[in-house]
Amino acid sequence: MIAPRVKAPRTESRDPIQASALAHQPELLGAFLRLYGTLWSRGEVDQFTKEMARIRNARTVNCPICKATRFAGARAEGLSEAIVDEIRDGYSTSDLAPRHKAVLAWVDAFLAEPGGGHEVLRKQLLEHYTPAQIVELTAGIALFMGFSKIAVSLGGLPDEIPVHEQPTPDVP
Amino acid sequence: MTWLPETAGGSDPFSRVFALRPNLYEAWREFEGLLWRDDRVDPNVLALCQLRLAQRNGARWLPGSAAPAVDEAKLADLDAWWKSEHFTPLEKACLRFAEQYALDPSGIGDDDARPVTEALGDAGTVAFVEALAIFDGFTRFCAMLDIVPEGDAQ
Repeated sequence: MIAPRVKAPRTESRDPIQASALAHQPELLGAFLRLYGTLWSRGEVDQFTKEMARIRNARTVNCPICKATRFAGARAEGLSEAIVDEIRDGYSTSDLAPRHKAVLAWVDAFLAEPGGGHEVLRKQLLEHYTPAQIVELTAGIALFMGFSKIAVSLGGLPDEIPVHEQPTPDVP
Repeated sequence: MTWLPETAGGSDPFSRVFALRPNLYEAWREFEGLLWRDDRVDPNVLALCQLRLAQRNGARWLPGSAAPAVDEAKLADLDAWWKSEHFTPLEKACLRFAEQYALDPSGIGDDDARPVTEALGDAGTVAFVEALAIFDGFTRFCAMLDIVPEGDAQ
């Protein structure tokens, strides 16, 4: 475990984000929560699909908090742990739906080779999603990646956290 | 401008793509704009980090609107900043942190982090990594969606 590089300020909040080191910047935190809530609860892409992308990112960046979190909305839409187990290397030969495999491949490309072109993958995405949905998914991956990297870079994370459900973020 | 078959209205290629999801774009603009306030982290340092991550991520458009212009000598040396005399120790520390953040944040060593956290303090460090999240994430967004200046499409 990397020692914490920034200590979280004292707070009454039990929310894991609002009680984190991010609370050192309350105005930024408020704007981030509005952005993240808009992504999750005011979007055009189903929460099941976004949660799959978030978990794929979490496992690649290796953020213990992000890997252990499950948002309630995606679970209500049917994202079971059996499906989550398939979001691993080798998912391309799994029983996951083609539209979900395309999103997981988009996450991998985003993380590994963002300037790579990916013409075949672009066509696959356009078969399953509207341009607006592709923008939402790509922005979502950017936020999932960015904030999982924040958690890792600030240190202080335990090696492992039990899987747990949290309310889906919404605009405060 | 992008490989997406449709775009929305907007003043530049990035906004025309992102505004396909208008409420999300508005929320992003609010957050991104706050990052550049100079009471958090020197915007000149942030601009260097944003440009460097854009270089590494293959982005041909810089998302956002408030970044100050980068000094010409620094710009010329940015792809080899570590051996340039044009950068201050804090700029080099922040660039080193930013590159490792984008590559693999678990590889940020204490010796890499200390000059940043000591110079910026807790609140400044938090603002700095939040800015890196947006710079890394949305320069990749531009690269993935192939957002390029008008007339520069391949």
